[in-house]
Amino acid sequence: MALDHRRVPGPEESQAPLLYAVPGEAGTEVPGREAASLRPLLARAGLLSQAEGSAYVELGGGTKVLCAVRGPREAAEGRGRLLCEFRRAPFSARGARPRPGPAAAEALAPAVRLARYPRARLELTALVLQDGGSALAAALSAAALALADAGVEMFDLVVGCGLCRAPGPGGAWLLQPSEAEERAAAARLTVALMPGLNQVAGLLGSGQGGPPESWAQAVRLGLEGCQRLYPVLRRSLLRAAERRAAEAAQPPLASKSVT
Amino acid sequence: MASVVLSEAEKVYIVHGIQEDLRVDGRGCEDYRCIEVETDVVSNTSGSARVKLGHTDILVGVKAEMGTPKLENPNEGYLEFFVDCSANATPEFEGRGGEELATEIVNTLYRIFSNESTIDVKSLCINPREHCWVLYVDVLLLECGGNLFDAISIAVKAALFNTRIPKVRVLEDEEGSKEIELSDDPFDCIRLNVDNVPCIITLSKIGCRHVVDATLQEEACSLASLLLSVTSRGTLTCMKKLGNGSLDPESIFEMMETGKRVGKTLHTSLQKILDKEESLGTTRQKVGFLG
Repeated sequence: MALDHRRVPGPEESQAPLLYAVPGEAGTEVPGREAASLRPLLARAGLLSQAEGSAYVELGGGTKVLCAVRGPREAAEGRGRLLCEFRRAPFSARGARPRPGPAAAEALAPAVRLARYPRARLELTALVLQDGGSALAAALSAAALALADAGVEMFDLVVGCGLCRAPGPGGAWLLQPSEAEERAAAARLTVALMPGLNQVAGLLGSGQGGPPESWAQAVRLGLEGCQRLYPVLRRSLLRAAERRAAEAAQPPLASKSVT
Repeated sequence: MASVVLSEAEKVYIVHGIQEDLRVDGRGCEDYRCIEVETDVVSNTSGSARVKLGHTDILVGVKAEMGTPKLENPNEGYLEFFVDCSANATPEFEGRGGEELATEIVNTLYRIFSNESTIDVKSLCINPREHCWVLYVDVLLLECGGNLFDAISIAVKAALFNTRIPKVRVLEDEEGSKEIELSDDPFDCIRLNVDNVPCIITLSKIGCRHVVDATLQEEACSLASLLLSVTSRGTLTCMKKLGNGSLDPESIFEMMETGKRVGKTLHTSLQKILDKEESLGTTRQKVGFLG
């Protein structure tokens, strides 16, 4: 019988095998960590040639986010607009393909001087390549870096920080949780801060966080984390500017003819 | 969201009034407008509720249907939300205009109800891995007069309180095939426990103070709002910042305290009204849509 090569011979609905796995007896012991310890962060701006501004942020432990900004482009309406698209790669999360992530344009809008771009639109695309915990926070930092790299006028950078609360009564809030901690968490929170102005640009939290005092403590911890990450992002912008200046100063290479 | 056009003088008037704890309609900063709640307004649903909060009108219908449990949670039923921004509410919702707002509301509702302590979803399971109750909650925005999220959360809580799910029995044959039998008595049903269902409180920052239950005009003067989901015990289950402006960290802490206070009062009054309506039973006079 001839094979029908136009159809993919696979099941129509497939599930990740982890759903059927029986939990092992020896539970993976997560080594205790300090609640306020930050994961190492790598930030690099100005890496895509096709976008006006771009940034790549990686957190130690496997969260990778790539962000690109195009614009300002002409738009029909009177006010300047910032259009954000946050996407996850289909293989970014462990387990099933995830649903689309939350819109977080409201976290970036306070930082951008949209009044300086009338009748223009800025298009921002953030792509989470791998979700190893605190993906939204990393995406917000990458987005702000990309906007700054594109030369868009901004009041300040936006730094994002993720937190999660360990399960069980009286669980402590942990800064920048890993994927395992996030999955087991009782509550999650992402804070976005403009450190120079000390203004909270974005806040998104859900879960059993407890009374407002517990959430307030978490927000304070998150803001502190954002302040500590600020110098890293600023240095990456400076380095990107230096790289661009060096490339522009280099004389164009003469083409060699092959004999 | 629907928007009104305000002149600078009107905005200044509103902001200055709020600084003195006096809003345009005479309320204080922490007062709600008069809320009308009526349950069991639509007869083809398992539960329904209609909430009128000033000029905001929300209708929620809950239908309970049998479905297959999700693979990750084989012993639980689940809820599905759908929001329809009708063009009656405001002309901006015509065609696909209301889709962005609808998606935002749906995501917020999912975020609140994905918390396992909100609704006991294990009671919605009939046969593990095979059958469960799926509650389809449909929210209709009939009129938009500011403060949508609060009204929607009150309506969803009232509709879930009103939901009557028929009792089913599972009969197993000798071969092992299962049959589901609906109970004969139409009043034999399971009710949901909504004690832990939170209410959303939106606090809008206007000037240097924050107000609860902002009207459309007040929303136009506010740059940023904080959406809190407060349970009857005063715990917060969801927090979100809305709007294009930024908030001072100190204001956020103050808003959380206000939200907890206001939320607790709102829960007690809502539960009192729902219990009173329930106790009236069949003698209750239905007001319906023309009241």
